[in-house]
Amino acid sequence: MIAASEKINRCLRLACAAVVVAAIWLVILPRMQAIPSVSEHMQRMTDREVNAGAMYYTELEHLPLRPDWVAERIALWPEWRMKSRASRLFEERER
Amino acid sequence: MTDSTPSSLSLGSATTEKRSGWHEDFAAMLVGGFLILLSLGLTWYARPSTDAGDRTKYEKGWPNPLAQTIDKPQSWVSNPVDSLTNKKGKSVAIPVVLGMGWVVAVGAIGAYLMGRSLLQFLPGGILLAALSGLSYLLATEKLINDYNLEYPLWALMVGLILGNTVGEVTWLRPAMIGEYFIKTGLVVFGAEVLFSRLLELGLPGLLTAWIVTPIVLVSAYWFGVYVLKIPSKSLCMTISADMSVCGVSAAIATAGACKAKKEELSLAIGLSLFFTVVMMVLMPPLIKGLGMDVIVGGAWIGGTIDATGAVVAAGEALGKEGGEVAATVKMIQNSMIGLIAFAVAVYWAGWVEHSERKPEVSLGYEVWRRFPKFIIGFFLASVVCSLLFTQGAENSLWVDGATSGFTSRLRGWLFCVGFVCMGVQTNFRELAPMLTSGRPMVMYLVGQALNLILTLSMASLTFGWLFRK
Repeated sequence: MIAASEKINRCLRLACAAVVVAAIWLVILPRMQAIPSVSEHMQRMTDREVNAGAMYYTELEHLPLRPDWVAERIALWPEWRMKSRASRLFEERER
Repeated sequence: MTDSTPSSLSLGSATTEKRSGWHEDFAAMLVGGFLILLSLGLTWYARPSTDAGDRTKYEKGWPNPLAQTIDKPQSWVSNPVDSLTNKKGKSVAIPVVLGMGWVVAVGAIGAYLMGRSLLQFLPGGILLAALSGLSYLLATEKLINDYNLEYPLWALMVGLILGNTVGEVTWLRPAMIGEYFIKTGLVVFGAEVLFSRLLELGLPGLLTAWIVTPIVLVSAYWFGVYVLKIPSKSLCMTISADMSVCGVSAAIATAGACKAKKEELSLAIGLSLFFTVVMMVLMPPLIKGLGMDVIVGGAWIGGTIDATGAVVAAGEALGKEGGEVAATVKMIQNSMIGLIAFAVAVYWAGWVEHSERKPEVSLGYEVWRRFPKFIIGFFLASVVCSLLFTQGAENSLWVDGATSGFTSRLRGWLFCVGFVCMGVQTNFRELAPMLTSGRPMVMYLVGQALNLILTLSMASLTFGWLFRK
């Protein structure tokens, strides 16, 4: 059995911890948001609809599916590209 | 299926007494599997009658009726009450409360299957669900969220505060089934791990994710075990996975596969989140300062920063193109979790723990006996949903709807409550010698340095030169 004084002590410790957490989340963090670099970062996240707290891609606001421009600038599969690189290297060496 | 097999995961194990119920691995597989089927079934039932295969219309999949029954607190700036209203101004108070209800329901079913008393579970289960809600509330504060300090950290903190102030309350003890919550969360998570996403960026994406990641994983593990001589191999594996694959989610899956202690998982997550914030802040200006190509820079960020959200945040700092490449490379890495967790589980059961094997017992039998069975559920869910996903546009939207509308949210709640339990039971004194030695941090730093070098080389080679049009 826990003595009554020990119970009170434990409850006091919990209350103190709760006050510290509340102070951080309700006072300190909102004030930190005013720091220019922080507010700039937060504004960018809001403007671009980024959920920076996502643990996995399914939690993102938008699924990161391949954008159309990628295929225009990157050869996704090598057939012609590898050959052209290889042949270009060969040609350079020949020269 | 009784509780006689050794516990396959040390996370949050509440008691060691023999019970007549199922082992939590089987309970997690049954409940997790049922929840995935329920979500798939209801999403199919409510499928759209027109344009069912139109990704532009249903970006995150078909509407899921279960989405109305679960949500988490939304981002808030200074008033926590704002967390109960979403961006569209709609109240999410009921789905948030129902989300806690899902936690209690899943926990109660698990407790029943594992031979615990439902009546004894309920008071503690309700308190744990409320504490998970509080943890989510802390995690969704806008500054915290925008710097990717994810909810497991705050769930651990809430649990630690409770455990170290009032201690583990007697009536809370029957609900301390953190191990079961995390395993069920992992089985449900399996539905989101789609191998089919691997090909999203073609060969350059595959090379960046599939060549570099396993090399870094194995090298960092080897460095930790054999060079730094960190006594716990499971700690080395958990840190290696979270650093090389995708942060917290990989750490949870791998910790389950290699039977890491809850303190080890907590340490790995703490390291990962700390360096994620550092890298998220430092990498974009570094890339811009070096005048690096945006696509290469995006791929570099995607392959190295641990957490998905932080990758997108850092990538967006490079611009739209950089952000898109970074997010897609990260998604490809995300898809590796299933395979890596399965491989680690086999390796652990067959080789790391082989010294305890009796000579007359075959390796195959020993691997099966020691194998964390819930990993089969996780892997199976991943394979089935991946196969379903590849069967046409409509099926891919079906799977996306089932996961983004329900299983993804439920998995978050289950992990959150699991971490609260872990926090209550975590004894950081066990890790004190390791923390003071600084070796896990050295291991993380060396592994991440290797990751940065190899990923930059591969991204430059593939995205910057070989496959560049």
